Amino acid sequence: MSLLRRIGNLFRRSRIDREIDAELRAHIEMRIEDNVAAGMTPEDARRDALLRFGNPTTTKECAMAADASLALDSFWRDIRYALRQLRKAPVFGATTVLTLALGIGATTAIFSAMNAVLLRLLPAANPKELFFLHLPDDQPYGAHSTGDSETSFSLPVFRTLRQDRRAFSDVMAFAPLSGGKVAVRFGDGLPEQAAGDMVSGNYFSELGVAAATGGTLSMADEDANASVAVLSYAYWTSRFSRNPNVVGQTMSIKGIPFTIVGVAAEGFRGLEQEGSTDLWIPLQRRAELVPWGDPSNQTLYGSPDWWCLRVLARFAPGISAEQAVAEANASFQAEAYARVATPNEAHPRIRLSAVAARGVVGLGDFNEYGQRIRIMMVLVTLVLVIACSNVAMLIVARNAARQREFSLRMALGAGRRTLLRQLLAESGILVVLGSMAGWLFALSATRKLATWAQLEVSLAPDWKVLLFSSMVSITAALLFALAPMRSATNAPLTAALRTSAATSHHSQRGGSTVLTVQVALCFTLLTAAGLLLRTLLNYEHTNLGMQTRGLLVFGITPQKETTDATKLRFYHALLEKMRAVPGVQAATLVGARLGSGWSSNDEPKVDGITYSFSQVPLRTNVVGPDYLRVLGIPLLEGRDIRESDTAASQHVVVVNETFVKKLLPNTNPIGHQLGGLKNRYTIVGVAKDSKYRSVDEAPRAMAYYPYTQNDDSRSTLQVELRTNGNPMTMLPTVERAVHDLDPDLPLEKPMTQIAVFEDSYSQQRLFSRLAMFFALLAALLVGIGLYGTLSYRIGRRTAEIGIRMALGAQRRQVLSMVLRETFQIAGAGIAGGIPLALIAGHFMGSILYELKPDDKLSMAVALVGIVGVSLGASFNPARRASSIDPARALRSE
Amino acid sequence: MARNDLQGSLDLLVLKTLAQRNKLHGYGIVLHIQRASDEVLQVEEGSIYPALHRMEQSGWISSEWALTETNRKAKYYRLTAAGRKQLQEAEEGFEQLVKGVRAMLRYA
Repeated sequence: MSLLRRIGNLFRRSRIDREIDAELRAHIEMRIEDNVAAGMTPEDARRDALLRFGNPTTTKECAMAADASLALDSFWRDIRYALRQLRKAPVFGATTVLTLALGIGATTAIFSAMNAVLLRLLPAANPKELFFLHLPDDQPYGAHSTGDSETSFSLPVFRTLRQDRRAFSDVMAFAPLSGGKVAVRFGDGLPEQAAGDMVSGNYFSELGVAAATGGTLSMADEDANASVAVLSYAYWTSRFSRNPNVVGQTMSIKGIPFTIVGVAAEGFRGLEQEGSTDLWIPLQRRAELVPWGDPSNQTLYGSPDWWCLRVLARFAPGISAEQAVAEANASFQAEAYARVATPNEAHPRIRLSAVAARGVVGLGDFNEYGQRIRIMMVLVTLVLVIACSNVAMLIVARNAARQREFSLRMALGAGRRTLLRQLLAESGILVVLGSMAGWLFALSATRKLATWAQLEVSLAPDWKVLLFSSMVSITAALLFALAPMRSATNAPLTAALRTSAATSHHSQRGGSTVLTVQVALCFTLLTAAGLLLRTLLNYEHTNLGMQTRGLLVFGITPQKETTDATKLRFYHALLEKMRAVPGVQAATLVGARLGSGWSSNDEPKVDGITYSFSQVPLRTNVVGPDYLRVLGIPLLEGRDIRESDTAASQHVVVVNETFVKKLLPNTNPIGHQLGGLKNRYTIVGVAKDSKYRSVDEAPRAMAYYPYTQNDDSRSTLQVELRTNGNPMTMLPTVERAVHDLDPDLPLEKPMTQIAVFEDSYSQQRLFSRLAMFFALLAALLVGIGLYGTLSYRIGRRTAEIGIRMALGAQRRQVLSMVLRETFQIAGAGIAGGIPLALIAGHFMGSILYELKPDDKLSMAVALVGIVGVSLGASFNPARRASSIDPARALRSE
Repeated sequence: MARNDLQGSLDLLVLKTLAQRNKLHGYGIVLHIQRASDEVLQVEEGSIYPALHRMEQSGWISSEWALTETNRKAKYYRLTAAGRKQLQEAEEGFEQLVKGVRAMLRYA
């Protein structure tokens, strides 16, 4: 309390001080004047005046203490009074606090997700200078890339950019060691898996990530391509329980020995967007350790036209992103086109671009992710607006009922300021309680969100979120105090004497406007949720073109087999072994796991004619024998890949419908030649189109090569098993069978094929569920608001309705009077909501799947929802109105 | 009884003074108390200010700066509705006190 007083007085003290001084001085001087007028000498007059006055300093201090402590007293009095008032109306208090908690909590949760994914800067020094380099037009024509083509750079390009000291003060590169995890082993332990990145030597120093123990990587490590590794703090914790003796020990990564030199600082999770990185090693020269674990490239240093590194740049001081990129573009383009054909009209010159390094990774897939989060932010803001206007209406209605109290208190001398202070105290208490509950709600919601979104990112609210949420709360508190203030302090003194029947029609119109706006916003939210729900349903009911039920998939990376011949023998033995497992109907292999987001792409060369990728992009995959039959993809013509298609036999390929439609129309495709890779393959079969990379892709030309005849991705293959019943229950049996073959071999990411495809739209599922939650919340709030307002109005109009009924109005007429009022509001709200919903749909167009932004069904569902909510909310008040007993109603006045 | 102390009496004098005059500054209130009580009640002049500030914070009186007849800036006080009510209570309380004290004195 004394602290509060001191803080309060900080702002007032000097003014109070001056005022009291002036007041006391005036007193003494007036006494002197009177004394002089009475005939005293000026000296006597002064002495007498001071004598009579007493000690001016003590007087001043006492007066000031009275001001300060009493002002504070009145503050506590306001709080106590407000609490007493709220205790008298517990339902009002609880409804308000709960509504605010849901509104503020949901908004804070989504904002903290947006903050973490889109806004948060990297933990480096001067993080605003860091940018991801980015290729809006992809790689130069003729180069090949792994990873997201917009973010992959070649090693020579990275080295060139690094030299450009005018544009950049430093440039870092990093790339994952595999699309998933790599096999690691500590000492004599069992084989394990870890997510690893190879990084340039300045990675840690430029990001400002220190070592928690030991050291990190240096430029010397990069120059020597040293066999040293840095563990992440989280991995060190989960795998080694933070044992400091780990530093200095040897581990193997894909069978290559590495020395653990340190552990990165706590909290650093790496720069990969999908998950946290467990360990980092310097860029490597070896064939076993290439970026993305992609075996089609010899080594990182030996494949100058392979674009596979992500590049993060720190711009030179005092230079903008545009200037730096413009500066670097010339040397970038010179290097980019050093090994490939010079650009022409069909393939224009590519250019460099930069994206601020904010949030998770401001690139690639996350653009769509960011778009979704922004849409959620807008939706949740609408919910907040509805929640706040509901609370405002509740407060206005409650204070209208307290009109007499206000009039009485003003009549008794309470100033406008006193009343305002008390209203502020009341709304302040509501907002503080609501915000605190909302904050707790947001904390648990963000934890859940991170799990649901499968983001290994801390979404935990930080100071920025706290600031945001406090701003929302303060605005709400002021709004809630000021909204009822006008009607409260304008309360005419005579209102104290008026009866309740004299309703102000002005305030009633205001209430209807707010309700109409709420209905419009709710309609928009319901439509948005409908659009996202239908998108989700479209994902779920998409025909994948295969029988996913009963399919089990896991990855296998042979450890001991190094030559092509031994690997092929290993896979052959593995398939034999799998087919012998009881419960397994059939088994085959595939290079890129279906539905995982991965794909191999190529330019088709049919019968000697090359088609550019932009004309007909060709997707490819390597597959095992009986692939189509095992996966349940219908064969339209010719034959499946067979066991007899070996490395030595004729090279064959199976293509799909779209391939035939685009590249070999009006002819029998069987027997034609496809030669995009090293050899020519003869088309022996045509399969029906099926999904490859994800559920939402459009059909593309596809070529299935036998894994025996194409060394692409042979180091890791996915095993597909068709099983009886639930595939996951088969897993232990399957694992034992694999270990019979090689006891050190882990099953990589074993999943059902259904789950792989479902995971490919888990974001869409999450966001459509969020949108539905917001829409239901909005509908509930609108329902409560409508119910509250109608009940309140009926209550105020009891006498009027009584008179009407006494004069012969039927129950039916009273009922329809109430319902008419409801449907006027709902109708106006829907009329306003339709254009809003169309605008919302327009902005959501990019995240909808097989759905038009102006989807009529979603709007119809929203319409039904609004009508349902209106009916539900008005049912009880309408029944109460129609059952008013005229005699009693009139007597009560 | 605790409220009927001397401080309460000073409050009563000030409130009563302001009830009789529309508005007055502190010095004017002191002069009025002295004259109206035939110079019987002599208050230390400065002690009136803590009382005035306390009563203002309690909402019994309000203040404003204005010019005196001699063109000097002074802080004028005025009774509020709450103050009027307070005065009524204080007067009743004081009557009770006087009644009680008088009864005590007669009892001997």
